[in-house]
Amino acid sequence: MTLSIRPLTASGFAGEVSGIDLTRPLSPDQVAAIDDGMDRFGVLVFHDQRFDDASQLAFSRNFGDLEVSSGAEMSKAQDRRLPQMEMADISNLDVKGRLRAASDRMRLTALGNRLWHSDASFRAIPAKYSLLSARTVPGTGGNTEFADMRAAYDAVDADMKAEIETLVTEHSNAYSREQIGFMKADYGEENQLKLKPVRHRLVRYDPRTGRRSLYLSAHIGTIVGWPVPEARMLIRDLMEHATQRRFVHAHVWRQWDLVIWDNRTTMHRARRYNDLTDVRDMRRTTIRGDGVTVAQVQEAA
Amino acid sequence: MHIRAVQNGFVGEVTGIDICKPLTTDDVAAIERGMDQYAVLTFPDQPLTDEQQVAFTENFGELEITLAGQMAKPEERRFQQLELGDISNFNGADTTRLRARDDKRRMYALANRLWHSDASFRAVGAGYTLLHARIVPGKGADTQFADMRAAYDALSEAEKKEVEGLVCEHSIVFSREQIGFGDYNPGHEEHLKPVPHRLVLTHPKTGRKSLYLSSHIGGIVGWPVPEARAFIRDLTEHATQPQFVYSHKWRVGDMVMWDNRTVMHRATRFDDLKEVRDLRRTSLKGVGLEVKQAMAAE
Repeated sequence: MTLSIRPLTASGFAGEVSGIDLTRPLSPDQVAAIDDGMDRFGVLVFHDQRFDDASQLAFSRNFGDLEVSSGAEMSKAQDRRLPQMEMADISNLDVKGRLRAASDRMRLTALGNRLWHSDASFRAIPAKYSLLSARTVPGTGGNTEFADMRAAYDAVDADMKAEIETLVTEHSNAYSREQIGFMKADYGEENQLKLKPVRHRLVRYDPRTGRRSLYLSAHIGTIVGWPVPEARMLIRDLMEHATQRRFVHAHVWRQWDLVIWDNRTTMHRARRYNDLTDVRDMRRTTIRGDGVTVAQVQEAA
Repeated sequence: MHIRAVQNGFVGEVTGIDICKPLTTDDVAAIERGMDQYAVLTFPDQPLTDEQQVAFTENFGELEITLAGQMAKPEERRFQQLELGDISNFNGADTTRLRARDDKRRMYALANRLWHSDASFRAVGAGYTLLHARIVPGKGADTQFADMRAAYDALSEAEKKEVEGLVCEHSIVFSREQIGFGDYNPGHEEHLKPVPHRLVLTHPKTGRKSLYLSSHIGGIVGWPVPEARAFIRDLTEHATQPQFVYSHKWRVGDMVMWDNRTVMHRATRFDDLKEVRDLRRTSLKGVGLEVKQAMAAE
């Protein structure tokens, strides 16, 4: 059986892949077919992929170097549920596998994932693909929504395209969390340096596909050279434009789904579920991008 | 007087009345009935003076003074009469100059582009707001309105149950901090303190329920702050879907009035460093909003 991809939306954003078992070693042709599918669809959904952490890590390495999870990086060893630093713990479970309490600090910072974002846009070299494997899914809710940043760019009017073409934004994890009232100081003294803003182009160009995309993320705090309130209002307006229903695909999770998305051309967000009563256990691996999107400066404050 | 439905059950256009002149009690009653039926009424071609706008507004209740005017130093204000809100991009009383890009008043006013209900940061909120267009820019600057009754009605039964008893905390600080503004003149700490409001309002006259949402909300009583804010964001997104929204394109002489108890609104972008936009706002103190009063009445 060969790999085939069925579009999930009328616009051709997001595809459902069948005819491949990702838990087994892949041939170079299979890896190339997935890369081509990612270029075309931005998001690929694979069902019934019974990964454990080892097989997910091995599969992910087909696409490049793995990032260390920022959640793991910023937490203490004794608080981590998963031993591998490259495996991000996208769950509502604590180190002992119990549901996190309402006031749990990790729960509150994870609520920031309900804002539209692009993974690791707070790194100078941001993420390429994210790969999310569903090990346990809640009874209702907990969808992940994806927004097509190439289609969103194409639909921007000509005046706005000219206005944003060369803009450079500043990203930090602290900016997205601050929006929901989780403050920079709450990360602890040891993590303050990791929250230093990095710079990215607002409009990205992909030489593989020849397409431009809006590089938006909740991690954006300002635009270089702009007054902060004006920058944030423009980013909000662009976000609203880019997340109109016609650009969005909602993924309803089933156990053993694996979804891959390209952070360079999509945004995503988690949706609400009964996280105080239902378990949601997802594991994420993340492929490091190829390079910076724009030169960094020593003091990008 | 005739009201034409612009958007069914939400926005009506009023003609056949001259609101620059004193109104009869029947006129006032007819407009109030229109407000209850629609929530937003537009009155085109009304060349009101400031005095006429104030007189027209007084037909419907007690005027409130604007917080921006109240917190500004006298030399930063365009109008010393604090009941008259200056919704313009002029440099205060100097109408030969526009506000500079980093002008503090401009930064403060940018947050009007977030969905809000006027004066929800006050214990009594606001009732009607009336906005009159004197000079409009060539492009942009629509005011958008969202119907909080229809948004409430469209919630699922489970969601209605969840929001029913919730009390939110509102402050001007919360809306401004979302866009990174916090530069207030000293001595106004009282004005910045959060006030509680029920999330679900029952209109004192129509009995209809609506979502009392506003960018001024910073928390929900009894909830962790991040959870409250994520929840309010989701609700605001629900409540401002295109099917609940009307965009008003301004023409000079338009007078638009809306009920802050049933409507959210926001400004939209225009080239404010180059073009003039001059609107005047009057608003009324809210009735039936204070959370303690509402609780006592039950």
